[in-house]
Amino acid sequence: MIAGLLLGGGFLLLAAALTGIVFNHGSKKVWQGVLWLVIAAALCLLIGSLQIFFGNPLDISLWNIASGLDIAFHLDRLASFFVIIISLISLCVAVYSLGYNNHISSNERANLLSAFMAVFILSMIGVVASANTFSLIFFWEIMALSSFFLMMNDYQESFTQRAGIYYFVLTQLSTVFLMLMAVVMYIQNGSFALSLSGASSVIQSLVFVLAFLAFGIKAGIIPLHKWLPYAHSASPSNVSALMSGVMLKVAIYGLVRFLMDVLSPEMWWGVGILLFGAISALLGVIYALKEHDLKTLLAFHSIENIGIILMGIGLYVIFGLYGLDTLAMLALGSALFHSLNHAIFKSLLFMTAGSVVIAVGDRNIEKMGGLIKLMPYTSVIFLVGAVSISALPPFNGFMSELMLFESFFQSFSLAESSIKILLFSVLAILALTSALAAACFVKAFGTVFLAMPRSQEAASAKEVSKSMIIGPAILAVACLVLGLFAVQIFSVAGYSFDLPDMSLVGLVLVIFGVLVFGMVRLFSPRKSRRSETWACGYVRPTPRFEYTASGFAEPLFQIFRLIYRTRHYNERSYEDNQQAIFKQGKSAIHTIKFFDEYIYLPVAGLFGRISRFISRLQDVDLGSHILYSFITVLLVILAARWLW
Amino acid sequence: MLENIPLNDILKILLVLVLVTSSLVLWQRSLTSLFKTYALQSLLVALVAMVFFINDGHLTLLFIALLTLFGKVFLIPRILNRILLQMNIRRDLEFRFLYPVSSLIVSILLIFGVYQVFSNLMGEVMPDRLFFLGAVIGVSMALMGMMVIFSRKKMLTKIVGYLSMENGAILFGLFVAELPFILEILVLIDLVILVLLVTVLAFGIDSTIEDFHPRFTPLGEWFKKK
Amino acid sequence: MSWNLVLYGFINTALALLVSPLFISLIKKVKAYAQGRVGPPILQTYYQLYKLFKKERVYSYQTSFIIRLTPYLSLAFMMVASLSVPLVFIPAADPGLGNIILFLYLMVMSRFFMALSGLDAGSSFGGMGSSREMTLSAIIEPVIIIVFGALAYVLQTTSLFDMFGQVRENSFLSNPSLILTGISLFIILIVETSRIPVDNPETHLELTMIHEAMTLEYSGPDLALIELSHALKQTLLMGVLLNIVAPWGLASEPAAGGIAVAFLAFVIKGSLLAVGVGIFESLMAKFRLFRVPGLFMLAFFFSFITVIFKFLA
Repeated sequence: MIAGLLLGGGFLLLAAALTGIVFNHGSKKVWQGVLWLVIAAALCLLIGSLQIFFGNPLDISLWNIASGLDIAFHLDRLASFFVIIISLISLCVAVYSLGYNNHISSNERANLLSAFMAVFILSMIGVVASANTFSLIFFWEIMALSSFFLMMNDYQESFTQRAGIYYFVLTQLSTVFLMLMAVVMYIQNGSFALSLSGASSVIQSLVFVLAFLAFGIKAGIIPLHKWLPYAHSASPSNVSALMSGVMLKVAIYGLVRFLMDVLSPEMWWGVGILLFGAISALLGVIYALKEHDLKTLLAFHSIENIGIILMGIGLYVIFGLYGLDTLAMLALGSALFHSLNHAIFKSLLFMTAGSVVIAVGDRNIEKMGGLIKLMPYTSVIFLVGAVSISALPPFNGFMSELMLFESFFQSFSLAESSIKILLFSVLAILALTSALAAACFVKAFGTVFLAMPRSQEAASAKEVSKSMIIGPAILAVACLVLGLFAVQIFSVAGYSFDLPDMSLVGLVLVIFGVLVFGMVRLFSPRKSRRSETWACGYVRPTPRFEYTASGFAEPLFQIFRLIYRTRHYNERSYEDNQQAIFKQGKSAIHTIKFFDEYIYLPVAGLFGRISRFISRLQDVDLGSHILYSFITVLLVILAARWLW
Repeated sequence: MLENIPLNDILKILLVLVLVTSSLVLWQRSLTSLFKTYALQSLLVALVAMVFFINDGHLTLLFIALLTLFGKVFLIPRILNRILLQMNIRRDLEFRFLYPVSSLIVSILLIFGVYQVFSNLMGEVMPDRLFFLGAVIGVSMALMGMMVIFSRKKMLTKIVGYLSMENGAILFGLFVAELPFILEILVLIDLVILVLLVTVLAFGIDSTIEDFHPRFTPLGEWFKKK
Repeated sequence: MSWNLVLYGFINTALALLVSPLFISLIKKVKAYAQGRVGPPILQTYYQLYKLFKKERVYSYQTSFIIRLTPYLSLAFMMVASLSVPLVFIPAADPGLGNIILFLYLMVMSRFFMALSGLDAGSSFGGMGSSREMTLSAIIEPVIIIVFGALAYVLQTTSLFDMFGQVRENSFLSNPSLILTGISLFIILIVETSRIPVDNPETHLELTMIHEAMTLEYSGPDLALIELSHALKQTLLMGVLLNIVAPWGLASEPAAGGIAVAFLAFVIKGSLLAVGVGIFESLMAKFRLFRVPGLFMLAFFFSFITVIFKFLA
């Protein structure tokens, strides 16, 4: 029955995709139909995966292409957990898209968008559920291609084209690493099975490095993250929500699956994952502070949260190697729970950001402001998302970060002191990251929603349609419920961690809130008066008096200036030789894009030079080509002579 | 060596406070408070020596305690303050190579590094946990004093850094080495310091090393003329 | 939920709220004496709160529901945080309320909304206050976590209830590294309650305010609630510092006599600490904003050394 539900869901998605592509004749009803099919499919999948999670694992073999080559699914607790994440987020994104697709340039594009969205969701579920490396790669490629097409929705813009190039190259690179890994595993095993038993430590480390690179590119670990800010900001907001909320988690699933079942970890793996996680978290949030494009800001926060998840995974490996199994489960639990929470609140944030961008017409937060009065529902939902991502009680972000902090704090039972010092340093980085995230979201929420509108477009913004509110609202409620009842949910799932009971905290909070409110109502006068904001005597405040986002982040920018490394450019041109009469000048401050300039561009340049060299070799006349063939035949003869 | 439990704890408290003063020397900018911190540090070292004396009864320990007390807690800070009165500066604001924040981070790594190195030697040379603690703190203090010397520009701060290094060496000696040797070296070092201070007094107002050059070059001219 | 816990909740919160304005006035009085003035009477803060409750509220045209909601949220979260710090007696059961991270993040939540409300009115002062407040809180956060981590490491538990219980059993001499933690906690107290040298709580020059700038647009009962929550935060942090370093007088069961003694002990210890804070404030000038991270680095250094000490000794 469960298999039926799941397969039914899968086929609904396939049907949705085909509908969108085949019946694409510019009518609104087509993509609406597609989206309703997606919603139905997501519901089926959600219910089915919940049943597997609380029940028994399931194996489905779908299609036996040849002997040894088959597409099979294996859904145990871990896989079904991720299917839950995918289906929940897809459900809400589909509801949101019912309203959002109205703002896409043409109906044909909207139809294609919805169709590819269905394919994307299907492929992600395929990756998570796959039982052997063949189906993993099959669905991984479909996921990569469909997300590329989704991302390139506005392909006329040059920004989108650049983003597309980055994304395509890097995602193909991750597929290459994945294939290499599958080849190594095939050589070791003789089949496509997802296991590596009996392999030597060298092979294990090789497979781990390849897997880490492949999944790391897709997850956005620094320094492999370059595509993430561009892609998430260039794509339409519902696609960004899916990519940032769900696709990154699929990569995390891959890493966790390999570490849990396939490989037997070693210490340097755990330390490496921990350090990469710490660096990603810190650099992600520091770069987010400087961003003024709302969606790029959210994308960098995704990098930060992936870093936090990686820290949990690294701790899991380290504690497992020391035999501290309860602590390892706590760390892994925090990583997985944070995946769920991040999927929920990041999609929520992207969706509301999409609503804001649609209403204002620009992604730059310095042009927004005062939207809290014009778009009240959207702002409340964004506030819930902002509070959750800053890990504040009683929402869900707090619970998962609490679990991570607890795993750090309880590491005092470790024996070796150098690991403990490392853990304390990483703990400090985690704390800094979480506080900087809160600062960044105060900035984001304050600049976008509070005070007065900073531009004409922002002043004329209107609240968005109902489905664009309901989609994120479901997720906002989920944030609150998961935060308050986390301990209860864990015990139903069979895990007992020693964590504070947030429902009690919530209850006490409500009691105290009501108490305070009641006291104030009783003892103080009800009336209130309106007046102008105090601006040192100016009677008519303008938006120019407000604090800008750059101004808000400036003290942090000064403190971390070694990481930002700005360069100041001053160009001056004069009328005369003695440089006395000034003609014109230009002054600019650039933040160095460290990874662009020192890693990506040099590597790209190297490849460019190699390819130019090779193309020069090929661009010759017939005679030289015959010469090449002649030399090759000679070499083959000589090689055959020496090898026999 | 120390079976007395309260004394053990008192020593730990004193060592903790010594480390606090040594980090304050790295961090402070006001010269008067630098001298007060140095006086406090020397007082704590004298108290450590006193505790050792009470426990063991070696007379050299008492001698060291009293010498440190008079020389470093009273005499040297007074000389330094007298010099300060003649100068126009009250604070040392310029840093080179390392700012206070980064020098504190480097000190954390330093202390941990020293701990790692010494823990390899622990079995053979230092049988007691307390010796180990004192040795690590002594060496760390000396290295932190060295950091003060290279990261500051003003001569007076460099002198305080050197004195702090010497305190670290005394602490190390108290915990680990044979005492009479150290005593001789200590007296010698104090004499060197006094000479340095008197030199600074003679040259007076100028306080950075670069300023000594114009003072020396006339002497060179004078020699050349001959 | 046992009666012990409910009783603890009531008594702890009520006593914390009662004592907080007293400590604020005490610090002001000490600073006044240091400046050669007589200063306001000891009960002045109570009178001030009463006066503010009777006044009307003035809201700016640009504000939204954030500024109306924040005073209640701020005080409610701080009151929940007060359940994490046993001031007079330690309850028997702990449903996770004493978790030190929960305590910290409840305070951060209250600060988050304060910062948002600073941006709400659209004034430069509020924005500046929010910006600086979030900057300083971001830089102090690793220090606080490391200090709490050092405490958790030395005392082998993450619940404040257990920590206080343990320190009460053994004197702190058995853990001399707690002195360093005490110094770090003192620095954290100065930072979190916006005292000199980090921020001046009595300035009304806009360019030198951090915390005061965010509360500029509040009036009437809202301002009273904000002031009360600020005072409560100070009392809670003082409670943590005092009960770690000097836990004498803390009771372990809700007997009436024991509670009265514990309350008296807390008031006395708290007053001494408040006088100490006042003297400390009077000895220094406010640091330039970008020198403040140097101060935090010192606290960070001390807590790291606490951990290393635990390895060494």
